[in-house]
Amino acid sequence: MKKFVNDPSNFVHEMMEGLVLANPQTLKWEKEFNLVYRADLDPNTKVPIVQGSGSGHEPAHIMAVGKGMLDCAAPGNVFAAPPVDVALEGIKRMKSDKGVLYIVNNYQGDKMAWEMAAEMAEAEGIKVGSVLIDDDVAVENSTHTFGRRGVAGNFFAIKACGAASEQGADLDELVALGKKVNDNVRSMGVALTGCTPPAKGEPIFTLADDEMEVGVGIHGEPGRRRDKLKSADEIIEEIFEAVHTDLPFKSGDRVALMINGLGGTPISELYVMYRKAAHLAKSKGLTIVRNYVGEYCTSLEMAGASLTLLKLDQELEDLLAAPAECPIRVF
Amino acid sequence: MKTFDVAAVEKTVKIIAETAIANEKYFSDLDAAAGDADFGTSLATGFKVVLDKWEEYDRSSIGDFLLKVSMVITGHVGGSSGPLWGTAFMKSGLLSKGKSSIGYEELAKMVQTAVDGIMARGGAKPGDKTLIDGLLPIAEKLEKSQNETNHSKLLKELVEITAHTAETTTSWVAKFGRQSFTGERSAGTPDPGIVAISTIVKAIAQS
Repeated sequence: MKKFVNDPSNFVHEMMEGLVLANPQTLKWEKEFNLVYRADLDPNTKVPIVQGSGSGHEPAHIMAVGKGMLDCAAPGNVFAAPPVDVALEGIKRMKSDKGVLYIVNNYQGDKMAWEMAAEMAEAEGIKVGSVLIDDDVAVENSTHTFGRRGVAGNFFAIKACGAASEQGADLDELVALGKKVNDNVRSMGVALTGCTPPAKGEPIFTLADDEMEVGVGIHGEPGRRRDKLKSADEIIEEIFEAVHTDLPFKSGDRVALMINGLGGTPISELYVMYRKAAHLAKSKGLTIVRNYVGEYCTSLEMAGASLTLLKLDQELEDLLAAPAECPIRVF
Repeated sequence: MKTFDVAAVEKTVKIIAETAIANEKYFSDLDAAAGDADFGTSLATGFKVVLDKWEEYDRSSIGDFLLKVSMVITGHVGGSSGPLWGTAFMKSGLLSKGKSSIGYEELAKMVQTAVDGIMARGGAKPGDKTLIDGLLPIAEKLEKSQNETNHSKLLKELVEITAHTAETTTSWVAKFGRQSFTGERSAGTPDPGIVAISTIVKAIAQS
């Protein structure tokens, strides 16, 4: 696999340096701990929100730092949980009289790092709350998880909690809000190719030209099954059905619908898939209030996509509609 | 009453690290019998980093020292052992933060809070045939020995207790962790975590 890379061990560092050079007014980079955080934020004015998982899922999470989204991202290496001291430094950097919220996807490594960091921060007198995301309906346990995995549905927790914290929600309210998002969001993905972490230099798994992995995880973890490649409509029918029946979503529900690219699939294909998903949603009596088509949570250059449905109420609709700024959405 | 200062705690942590490194193959071989054979390597790799960074740690109190070590363990010991062993050091570090000296009473509490932390983090319970079963008898013995004046006698007893635990738990069926995947077949195979604790206590007693 060919990549634009220098010394692979500097990959995450160099990506972060590029990001802050491109956004000097809004972002700061702390090199020692590899944190990206909002340049304009006074942490005592609101509950700051921090997230950090392995890198390689960009724009999640370093490119989701901005007003109304995350206040700080504390990433690990590619597909590796952040070290505890990085997570702790992220919380401490955001230290606020109002407490600090962290959002974490359900992977053992990420969870344990953030739990330990939170316990240490609390011992230093910082109040810490958490939101756990496990929206992937594909499998119950997998390579890095007990229980379901957290994938693209994470975006909605960031967006809703980010907006609410700007509007003055306190820590307990944000914890409850994040849980509400997680309780109402479901996702599933399909991979057409593997992907190659720069430091590894070879694909973490391979699929033949006529194969797909149904229910793939965002680190290439196995999903429900490997199957012969089908048409876009057939693939969307299957993952829509899996997601739709899991909550279950009901006729009359108002929803947000996301078609998320996994890194190596062009947006043209994502709209082909959105078209089918929108028809299916309509046929099931769902009203799509908001849609999201693009890359929100990727696996490096993996070709593939995931579908996410979020059931909305008035509070979530308002929070999703609230303004937000971050490097991926400034034009 | 016997007390331990920062230097004594440092020395103990150093022995733990050296024992983990010296027994890399032994621990991995034990793990290969019913696990995934990475335990020894995971532990040795991480504790090598602990020693590499030895001069950098905050030594202003026992707790501050243990907290710094806990972060290195968590970040560099591989697999699930990293966060679990790291949690043990972190929990005992939080309890001894700011203290320049501790006695048996505090030591007993530190071991107990380490065990509680491992249970909360990993989800295993006493009797599941994990690290927890190796540590609990130590916490109980220390709890009962708060007025002990003969330190070497206590250490000798701890060596016997942990060796006995490693022996008796061998016949157990693992109910948690990698070994439990083999179900009934785990009976008859020693748990690498429990053996590691016994090996470490022996090394501490010999020093």
